[in-house]
Amino acid sequence: MIAAALTLLLALPPLVWVAAMFDRIGTGRGAVLIGPLQNGAALLLRPNTATEAPDRLNRLLAPGWYLALALVGLSVVPLAPGVVASDISTGLVLWGACEALTVVVVFLHGWSPNAPLPLIGAYRYVAIGLPAMLLSMFVLIGAALPAQSLSVVEVVEAQREIWNVIRQPLGLPLFMALGLAITLRGPFDYADGAELAGGTSAEESGPALALWHFARAAMLVAFSAMAATAFLGGHLGPVLPGPVWLLLKTLVLMALSVAAGRFFARMPPARMLTFLWVVLLPLSFASLALVGVEVLP
Amino acid sequence: MNWLSALARGAEIPVFAVAGAQGLAPVEGLRRRPGLRLVDSPRHARVLLVAGAVDAAHKTALERLHAQLPPPRGTVWWQAAPLFARGEAVAGNDPLPAIRAAAEASDPDQRPDVPPHPWQGMGPHGQGGRGMMGGNPYGRPMAMTAEDIRDGLELDAYSARFGPFLPMLPPGLALDLTLQGDVIVSVTVVSPPFEQGVQGDAPDLCAARMLRLMGIGPRAARARGALMVLPKGSGMRRRLAAWLRGGTVAETPEPLSEALPGLEWAEAVLWLASFPPSQLRAVCMERQAA
Repeated sequence: MIAAALTLLLALPPLVWVAAMFDRIGTGRGAVLIGPLQNGAALLLRPNTATEAPDRLNRLLAPGWYLALALVGLSVVPLAPGVVASDISTGLVLWGACEALTVVVVFLHGWSPNAPLPLIGAYRYVAIGLPAMLLSMFVLIGAALPAQSLSVVEVVEAQREIWNVIRQPLGLPLFMALGLAITLRGPFDYADGAELAGGTSAEESGPALALWHFARAAMLVAFSAMAATAFLGGHLGPVLPGPVWLLLKTLVLMALSVAAGRFFARMPPARMLTFLWVVLLPLSFASLALVGVEVLP
Repeated sequence: MNWLSALARGAEIPVFAVAGAQGLAPVEGLRRRPGLRLVDSPRHARVLLVAGAVDAAHKTALERLHAQLPPPRGTVWWQAAPLFARGEAVAGNDPLPAIRAAAEASDPDQRPDVPPHPWQGMGPHGQGGRGMMGGNPYGRPMAMTAEDIRDGLELDAYSARFGPFLPMLPPGLALDLTLQGDVIVSVTVVSPPFEQGVQGDAPDLCAARMLRLMGIGPRAARARGALMVLPKGSGMRRRLAAWLRGGTVAETPEPLSEALPGLEWAEAVLWLASFPPSQLRAVCMERQAA
């Protein structure tokens, strides 16, 4: 357990770096490898900004909470048979709690600087975040059904014969929508979008902003590892050792999330809200119902 | 921290660009330049770039913007007459050397660090509102409940000035808005957008600005259903489609004070971006003249 936790802590910074590289590929900016490190270093050397009458404590803590949620979420992912940092029988519930608390943390990040554009971003994110979380709960229950357990270890074991992505074809695409929402990306970036000049981060600068970007990328890593585990069989695979399989699948899902974030345009929030409640949520019910029928004895 | 500074030396310079008159197209041209990165918020920037002339009427707004950049900060006036004595002016086609120099500079504060208005001394707590809400203490607007324009419930209404240099609005456009949440309740145009000339109305430039607000790049648009995400019936789809085909848009917008109320923030900024700057300027000028 300690070995798994240490591995995760050591693996996270390089994976965050890789996430930042994915974000640079194809943007025509060059310096894919070193660019993110240079920009990060420059940002760390800038000062934090003061705003008028902020909620100081929450402003200080929000990026740290975000990172902590990514780490806790990542901790339920088994790296190899028997190697998991949080070996609990309700791992999926813990992951779900991290998703839900992400909404709270992003809200606090927008609330605390006491400025209009961040606050609008914060409220909008809560409105969109709630149905996105609901969606992911149904999808994850679908992943838990064949395993008859909420333990992530069991969910992986249940995919020895066939991966969930084949058994439940709707699951992974729907879960990706949640991934875009909790990593504040592309079509689901209602917190930090360009139409709000950076939204919840609009007033941030220096190390606070650097940590927020780091936490966002860490959440992308956590989400991708979780999606790989719940739908692509996690560490299962022939020839190569388990952790390598998990790493490869995580990288593929990270790249897919980045691509999806660039590919799909962002709707105005009212339209997205309708789309979530009227189209995506019923789809997730349908997916769950299909899984239920499939696992009937 | 030497290694950190050494690493940071190769970083892109974050620049907040203010587009003045005829400045929109040149700023758009900087977007793909290596060595700098245009950012959406002055808080994220190291250098303030003023591209194109800005009216003297906006001097205070520009000084406040300058104060928003965290120190150390630098200023570059590109094809613009300096409105205050900070930074360097460049006239040529390439501001990059000046931006590099400004990234090493450290402008002193331009405005004193004091509230823009005195405490007003009205109402029970002296902030000028009712009870503990509303009013304008120290010139900062506070929310006050008012009827929601959609369902008549009492919700906080917040009045403030937006612009003239907000990156999601057409440059120069300043609006006095009352918002409930992100729904616009009332609009007064304070100053019209700057003159951008014919290059400002170029289809690819207009499309790129609109797509950026939707979180995607210009190359992504044609095949990617960008049109589908826009609300029906607002004409935004039609106008974006025309720009993507390389055509021009000649539609005249309704006056802003009639078109924007009832729209949410994201929809309103998309609506504004769906008109060429010249048309928006014309309709705002007409209103001011009347």
